[in-house]
Amino acid sequence: MNRLTKIQVWLPYTVSILCAIMFIYAATSKLWDFQQFEVQLGQSPILTTYAEWVAWSVPVTEYILALLLLTERFRLIALYGSLGLMTMFTTYIILVLNFSDYIPCSCGGVLEDMGWTEHIMFNIFFIVLSITAILLSTSGQPHQIQVS
Amino acid sequence: MIANNIHIKLLGTISLGIGLVVILFLSSEKQLHQNNAFTRSYPPHPVIKLYDLDLGYNSYYIAGTDHNEIYLGNSTAPWHLLKVNISSKDTLHIELAPTNKQLRYRSLKVYVSPPFFFVMDGTMPFILRGKVGEWKARPWIEQTAYFNKALPLDSTKILIRTISSTTHQSTLGIIEHFKSPNLILDTSLLRQHIDGVFDVDGILIKNGYGPEVGYVFFYKNQFMIMDSHLKNVSRQRTIDTVEQAQIRVGNQNKKGQISMSAPPLTINKFACMAGRFVLIQSDRLGKNENKAMLDQASIIDVYNYKEGIYAFSFYLYHIAGHKPRAFEIIGNHMVALVGDQLSIYRTIEPFFENLNIIEH
Repeated sequence: MNRLTKIQVWLPYTVSILCAIMFIYAATSKLWDFQQFEVQLGQSPILTTYAEWVAWSVPVTEYILALLLLTERFRLIALYGSLGLMTMFTTYIILVLNFSDYIPCSCGGVLEDMGWTEHIMFNIFFIVLSITAILLSTSGQPHQIQVS
Repeated sequence: MIANNIHIKLLGTISLGIGLVVILFLSSEKQLHQNNAFTRSYPPHPVIKLYDLDLGYNSYYIAGTDHNEIYLGNSTAPWHLLKVNISSKDTLHIELAPTNKQLRYRSLKVYVSPPFFFVMDGTMPFILRGKVGEWKARPWIEQTAYFNKALPLDSTKILIRTISSTTHQSTLGIIEHFKSPNLILDTSLLRQHIDGVFDVDGILIKNGYGPEVGYVFFYKNQFMIMDSHLKNVSRQRTIDTVEQAQIRVGNQNKKGQISMSAPPLTINKFACMAGRFVLIQSDRLGKNENKAMLDQASIIDVYNYKEGIYAFSFYLYHIAGHKPRAFEIIGNHMVALVGDQLSIYRTIEPFFENLNIIEH
């Protein structure tokens, strides 16, 4: 019981930090060459009409989520947020790969060198992580998290 | 009880994520293709397919016609030319050669306009000319003008599209060479309203059976017909409703390049001109047209530019998932390049006139 409690505490915490690092990295690399990111996003067959709006909101959301992930109080909400965001990214990739006339790329940094399959695996890995973290931090007595 | 609640929340989050993106996707898909403001008419069988000819490569482009024959240039083997006789299916491989063995070039385009053929590179820039049959390309025009598109009109005249050094916008012009090369630009023809380069992008066409030349805009419902001196301009509209190019142009990047910041809405993809007709390929859907059709065939709209009217439309079927990328009318045949195949169709009267008769 004690060991389980420990895992319940440190796993969500680790996952949160991991996600936060990933989000900060992704958002920063997008803003680094923002113009290119905006152009690439605009060239995407899915988001054309919303490109400008999405180009800003994606890195901003990522920063906010990273911040919330590092805050004890909002961690659970932020984990749900990460799950939602990663699901959206994954859906986007699957749609682009299967249903669009051509395939663009709009990721930054190291992520740019990843193939689409690796990208999906990467996303799914983070989705699984956040689900695990959510399950662990809410299972058992909910007050345990607040105590720690 | 608590666990159940969490599962619902998790499922909810995931479905919300998926749902949102799918909705975005569907809405932008719809915006891209559907346009209920115009209606096409598809009469039965204005063209009938005769046969497909296997060319072996998908890098061929149409490099001119002559009576019953079509010349195909090859973008990966620029000095190679293929001559196909439409009625006999005979093919002849031709090797072109420059007289200057040290010739430096970047991207060559060959065009055959009997009795001459032309080898053009708008980036160097030069135009070589040689006699059909002899196939030796001699220096003809050098350094007169850079160009990004060129179409020989006759033995001495080349229609070009270039960037004007004064306006920095796309411009049509004619290089004429009797004794010495002479360049005439008309900056008033391509009327810009966004950047003057992307928004007025399009295709040069010429009437193989008359004196007219034309320019078909990619991103708006317009084409122009002119005489070979770029005079007597007639501006005509296609059946589409997009009057102004719907493109977005980004700012200069660090290398000074400018790119489109959104996929452009392409109205007209490629075109050809023959007799009194302009034929334009368009993927835009009109009223009561099924989007699934675009997976199997490409739509060709036929305009009678002499009368300034839309005539009719027909389908050009894809081969093994490949869309046609160029076509031309030769006499009472239509030829189309589809993947590594050359499709030969017969044009049917009364939809098309018999151009062999008109020519003489």
